[in-house]
Amino acid sequence: MVDKGQVISLCRFLLRAGRQYPDYNIREYAKRRTLDGFRMNKNLTDHSKVEDAYAEGKKQLEVVERVVKVYLAYPPKTKNIMELKLQ
Amino acid sequence: MASKAIFSTLRRSLTKPNRAVSRRHHLSTSSAATASEPYAGDEHAIVMKGVRISGRPLYLDMQSTTPLDPRVFDAMNASSIYDYGNPHSRTHLYGWEAENAVEVARIQVAKLIGASPKEIVFLSGATEANNTVVKGVMHFYKDKKRHVITTQTEHKCVLDSCRHLQQEGFEVTYLPVRTDGLVDLEMLREAIRPDTGLVSVMAVNNEIGVVQPMEEIGRICKEHKVPFHTDAAQAIGKIPVDVEKWNVSFMSMSGHKIYGPKGIGAMYVRRRPRVRLEPLMNGGGQERGLRSGTLATQQVVGFGVACELAMKEMEYDEKWIKRLQERLLNGVREKLDGVVVNGSLESRYAGNLNLSFAYVEGESLLMGLKEVAVSSGSACTSASLEPSYVLRALGVDEDMAHTSIRFGIGRFTTEEEIDKAVELTVKQVEKLREMSPLYEMVKEGIDIKNIQWSQH
Repeated sequence: MVDKGQVISLCRFLLRAGRQYPDYNIREYAKRRTLDGFRMNKNLTDHSKVEDAYAEGKKQLEVVERVVKVYLAYPPKTKNIMELKLQ
Repeated sequence: MASKAIFSTLRRSLTKPNRAVSRRHHLSTSSAATASEPYAGDEHAIVMKGVRISGRPLYLDMQSTTPLDPRVFDAMNASSIYDYGNPHSRTHLYGWEAENAVEVARIQVAKLIGASPKEIVFLSGATEANNTVVKGVMHFYKDKKRHVITTQTEHKCVLDSCRHLQQEGFEVTYLPVRTDGLVDLEMLREAIRPDTGLVSVMAVNNEIGVVQPMEEIGRICKEHKVPFHTDAAQAIGKIPVDVEKWNVSFMSMSGHKIYGPKGIGAMYVRRRPRVRLEPLMNGGGQERGLRSGTLATQQVVGFGVACELAMKEMEYDEKWIKRLQERLLNGVREKLDGVVVNGSLESRYAGNLNLSFAYVEGESLLMGLKEVAVSSGSACTSASLEPSYVLRALGVDEDMAHTSIRFGIGRFTTEEEIDKAVELTVKQVEKLREMSPLYEMVKEGIDIKNIQWSQH
């Protein structure tokens, strides 16, 4: 049984992990996709569907945490123009 | 020692170019276009091929290739480490595991296009698939079928394969397209002859982004019992593709256009009713005998995961990309006039926007847009100075064809990038138009087409 607290903490973990991507485009996509993904499933009432969505989210969290480690192992040598503009 | 240091600093200070001088005289529009104010953090500047940019440009060239999705990357990593066996080895676990991975990917690709996994053949890309189908089908039926129909806006590999067939003695009809880029169905119907062996029409054009009326073309081909081939490299994962609805017999797919790895593609070859083709790569008979050679397991796995992701995310991506396309088009149209969209705006894939700016010189525009990674014409034709053959087939004037820019929007593009691209494009076009005497004449109301240019 998945409760509201678990869902919110999963969202927070996903957002926190996605923030670590060194690439500007993938970082922004991770944030947007996580928020939209949780928003789309906000009104699910069927328990099995909620469980499925939660399991899917956990799987994605594992993927992001693994991939971020590899991406950070090869840090980029140049900054994206969008990141420079924000300075 | 000290005198050497003194002399070297003296020499450096004397020969340092004066900043003010470099901005004053610009002998050509292109050099004026490239002169720009440096950013505050100029230490990160990249200097390559004589161009200085302050950071990595924003990537708006999704039609030439797409970045690798992190989820695809993850699947490929695991596969590279563990699935190193040859998928065609039948005798040991390594081969069985690799074969399983390939079969899983096959099912994922087949689900995306509504086909059976037995009908998918993996090869090195859409170019190889196009070559195999066009040459292979015609070589197989060379006794009875001597005619191929294709369009003038096809990808270079299809056109080149048809030219190769012409040299071998086959006949090829290159159907012209209307000004909105769509094929005229009546002309197609008339062009079909009893000895037509193949009709090849690409689903989504890579340069202008128009979506051809695939169901109607499929129906016409079914009536006349002609095999229908489509190059769907730009279409899969972006518009709904169904081989039954479209009635295609062959389809070419490419991995690196749907956020997958480069160097992998697939070919759909229909089994019911059966169509035969002669393989291009002979050898051990892998992939139903149609493409021999060991499969690159991790590439195949990456392609499969990319297809599965594309199927899941198609609706979400489409909404996002449509929103960005409208933002781009409206943003540019608000500030500039004389902006023409090449190709039909209704029957179009949203992520491809090909714009032409009137009264602006194309090379200068591209050189000034160094902070936006866009392309003008497709990558295949950008080496030569001619305007793209696709725009010429649409009937676009030479001068408008030269100033065409193709903006490619994708899954990872952000709103801020679109706003920045709009800002940079508008600034560049306005700067060039200000310098252009033709634009001055147009503003005064003179019609350019009716000017009598005097001879010198």
